Amino acid sequence: MSGPLIRPDATLQGIGGAVAAIPLTHPGNRRWWIAFAGAGALLGLFVLTLGYLLYAGPGIWANNNAVVWALDIASYDWWIGVASGSLLVSAILLLLGAEWRGAVNRVAETLALLATVAAGLYPIIHLGRPWFFFWNLPYPNTYNLWPQFRSPLLWDAIDIVSFLVICVSLWFIGLLPDLATLRDRAHLEAMRQLDVKAPTRKLALLRAQVYGILASGWRGSAAHWQIWVQAYRTVALLGVLLVVSVQTGASVMLAGSLMPGWHSTLLPVSFLVNAVYSGVGVTAVIVMLIRIVYGLDALVTTRHLDVLGRLLLCLGCASAYCYAAEYFDTFLNGDAEARGVLVRRMTGTHALVSWTAVLCLVLPAQILWSARIRTAPLAIAAVGLLVAVGAYADHVMVLVVTLTQDFLPSSKLPYTTDVWGIATFAGSVGLFLTLLLLFLRYLPAVSIVESRRLALTASPAAQDDARAVASRAAARPEEDPGSAPLWGVSATFASQGDLAAALQAVSGLSPDHVHLDGHGPVPMPRTLRPLGLEGRSILPYALAGALLGGIGFFVLCIYATAYDYVFLIGGRPRLSWPSFVVPSVSFAMMAGCVAIHLALLVLNRLPRLNHPAFNIPGFLRASEDRFFLSAEARSDRFDAGRIERRLAALPVEAGRPLEVRRIPR
Amino acid sequence: MAQLFTPGADALYRLALMTGVACLVGLPVLAAGIVRSNYVTGVGIAPAQPLPFSHKHHSGELGIQCRYCHTTVDREATAGIPPTHTCMTCHSQIWTGSDMLKPVRDSYAQDKPLEWVRLNKLPQYVYYNHSVHVTKGIGCSTCHGDVTSMQMTYRANAFEMQFCLDCHRAPEKYVRTPDQVWNMTWAPPADQATLGPKLVAQYHIRGGERLTECGICHR
Repeated sequence: MSGPLIRPDATLQGIGGAVAAIPLTHPGNRRWWIAFAGAGALLGLFVLTLGYLLYAGPGIWANNNAVVWALDIASYDWWIGVASGSLLVSAILLLLGAEWRGAVNRVAETLALLATVAAGLYPIIHLGRPWFFFWNLPYPNTYNLWPQFRSPLLWDAIDIVSFLVICVSLWFIGLLPDLATLRDRAHLEAMRQLDVKAPTRKLALLRAQVYGILASGWRGSAAHWQIWVQAYRTVALLGVLLVVSVQTGASVMLAGSLMPGWHSTLLPVSFLVNAVYSGVGVTAVIVMLIRIVYGLDALVTTRHLDVLGRLLLCLGCASAYCYAAEYFDTFLNGDAEARGVLVRRMTGTHALVSWTAVLCLVLPAQILWSARIRTAPLAIAAVGLLVAVGAYADHVMVLVVTLTQDFLPSSKLPYTTDVWGIATFAGSVGLFLTLLLLFLRYLPAVSIVESRRLALTASPAAQDDARAVASRAAARPEEDPGSAPLWGVSATFASQGDLAAALQAVSGLSPDHVHLDGHGPVPMPRTLRPLGLEGRSILPYALAGALLGGIGFFVLCIYATAYDYVFLIGGRPRLSWPSFVVPSVSFAMMAGCVAIHLALLVLNRLPRLNHPAFNIPGFLRASEDRFFLSAEARSDRFDAGRIERRLAALPVEAGRPLEVRRIPR
Repeated sequence: MAQLFTPGADALYRLALMTGVACLVGLPVLAAGIVRSNYVTGVGIAPAQPLPFSHKHHSGELGIQCRYCHTTVDREATAGIPPTHTCMTCHSQIWTGSDMLKPVRDSYAQDKPLEWVRLNKLPQYVYYNHSVHVTKGIGCSTCHGDVTSMQMTYRANAFEMQFCLDCHRAPEKYVRTPDQVWNMTWAPPADQATLGPKLVAQYHIRGGERLTECGICHR
C-alpha cells in the first residue's frame, strides 16, 4: 500500500478544526439544503405510505397468500445487512487496532445505527396491526401466554432491540470525546459573541450547552480516557458477536421453514457474507460522498480508498464462492425442488432480479484487482453502489422466487412488485438520508480523536509543532488573588510525555491530601502509572452484565417453555435449549453493553456538567492540543506552593510546564 | 475560564436522567396497570339499566332458579335474556301498580323488548358456548361471580384470555358435580384434588392439552 494515512503536516488543532468546522460553521450550506430537501421529500413519501399502510393494510404491497414476504422483508434483510456490515467494519478495525480507522469508523458506526433504525421499522410495519408489535416480546400480559421462544421470529425481535442498543452505544461512546471538542469550540465562539454583543450570542451559548449536555461533562481526564478506550473496544467486541447472532436469526427464519430453496447449510454464511459486503459497499459510497462534499482528502486518504477497495474485492470473491457453492451443491446432489428453485431464479419471471443480484455482487468488485482503480474514489463509490443494489436484488430473489411456488400446485401465486412496495423502500431510504444529513450537519463526520491519535503516532510534526509554538518562558506560578478558597493547582503542557513526567515528579507529594489527574485531547496511557490507575478494567462489569443477561434470558426461555407453560408443538422436545441460544446471546450482548455504559458513567463520575477543572484558564484547549495536570486539594494540609516549586524545578525537556496556576473552587 | 454550566445544572441533568429512566420503567407499568384496572375492564361497575332489576332480591332472597329466566343456558350457546313475558308471569299479579315496574308494563303493552345494558362481552373472534360449560360441571358463579348477592348486576370477572386459559389448562380445579352447578356460593370442596380428575373423566373433558388448542376458542 502506498501513500500516507494522514498528511505529515497535520496538527491536533488542525484536525479538530477541519472536522469541527463542519458542524459549527456548516460549509456547503446550499448543497446541504438541496440534499436535505430531497431526503425530506422522500421522508414525506414514507409518512404518506405509512399512513396508507395503516389505513389499508399490508395488501398495498401486493403481497399475497403465497408471497407473504416480498419487498418488506427484503428491505428489512437489506437494511439489517447494511447495518451488520457497517458495524462489523468499524468493530473489526477497532479490535485489530488499525490506527487509520478514524476516517472510516464514524461513518460506518453512523450507517450501522441509521440502517438499524430503518431496518427496525420493517418488522413492525409489516404486521397487520403494527400497534400490537409488543405482543412479540416477553412481557407480563393478560393472555397468560409467552411468546414462542423456539421461533426465529422472536429471535429477530430480540436481535433488533439488542442491535439497536449496541449501535447507539458504539456510536455514542465513540462520539463522546468529539462532542467535548465541539462543546469547547462552540463555547469559545459563544464567549467571543458575548464579548462583541453579537445578536446571535444567545443561540451560540445554547448550541454550546446542547453539545455540553451531550458530552455529559467529558473533561478528557486520564481516568476518563482509560475507561473510554476499554469501553469502546468491549462494545465493539459485543457488536461482532451480535452480528453473527443477528444474521443467524435472519437466515434461520428462512431455513426453519418448509420452503424449497431455503435449506442450504451455507445460507447463514452467505447471509453474513452478503450482509458485510453490502455494508462495506454502502459505507464506501457514503465515505466517498462526504470526502468529496466536505473536502476531507487530508483525513480520508488514498490509502483508505485502497483498504476499502481490497475489502470489497475480498468480500466479492467470498460472495462469488457462496453462489458457486450453492449451484454446485444443489445441482450435484440437491433435491428436485431445490434444483427447480435455482432454475426458476435464472429463467423464471424474476430472472432479471436474479441476474442483477449475481452480476452486481460478483462482477464489479473484480475491477478492484487493479491498484490504480482501487484508489479512484469514483470507482470505489460505483462498486459500492452496485454491491448495494445487488444485495437488495439477492434478498428479493431468495424470498420471492421460493414463495411464488412451494410444493403444492394450489399455493402457486404470481407476484409483481407494487408501486407502494417501492415507495415504502424509497421512503425508508428517505428516513435514512434525512437522519444522515442531520448527523453530517451537527456532529463530527470523522472521528477527531482517532485522527489525532493517528497524527501523534504517524507524524510527530503534530507534537513538534506544539512544542515550537508553545513558549516555556511562563513556567513561573502566577500570582493569584489569594482570597478565594483554593480548589487546586493546574499546570499546562504541550505533550503527553511532559504531562507524564510532571505527574511522576509530583505523584509522591503527600498523596493523602492531593488528588492528581491529567487531562488531554487523546488517550494518555503514559499517565496511568504515575496516577496509580494501571490495571483498572471495565471487563469484569461487561462480563458480569453479559453473563447475567444471557443466563437470565436463557433461564427465562427454559422456565417459560418447559415449566410455566408446556406447549409441545412441531415435534420439539420439552427442553429445546438449542433454539434459546441465539436470543440469549443477543440479550447477553445488550445486557453487557448496558453494564459497560453504567460502568463508564459511574467509574468516571459522569455526568458532571459543572466541574472546578473547567475553571482552569485555557482548559478548553484540553480538547484541542494541550495537556493539563490538575492537583486537587483534598484536605487543609494541601500545600500548593510545594507542588508549584516541584513543577517549576523540572527540566525543560522533561516536564517543565508551560504555565502553572492556582485554581479557585 | 468561564463555566458553561452553573453548579445547579448538574442536579437538573441528573434529575432529568433519572426521570427518563423512571419513565422508561414506570410508563409501561402504569399502562399495564390501566389496562388491568376496573375502569378499563368494567369489573365491579354496575351500569344504569332500564329499571333497577335486583338479582339479589329475585334469585337470592326469593330463590328463583337461574334457568327460570336464562332458559337456554344448558341447551344453547347463549344463556338467553328473558322476554318481558317472563317478568309478567309474576308482575301481572304482584306489584302491578309499582312505578318502578312501569317500563316492564310499557314494554309488554307496546310489544317492545326492554333494552338491558350488556355486561359480559366477548370479542367477536372468541367462540363461546354456555351449554357445554354448564352441562360439563362449570357453574355460573365461576365466571359470573355470586350473582345472588348483587343488588345491581355488575361484571364479576375481566374476561381476558388469561381468565379463560386458567381453567382450560386445569379444568379439574374448577369442575363441579352436576348438582353444584347452580350453587352461587360454591367453593372447591376439600377433596377437589381427587374429585376433580374423576369428574373430568366422567364428563369426558379431554383435559388441558385439548382445551388449550387455539381452535377451541378461536375458530
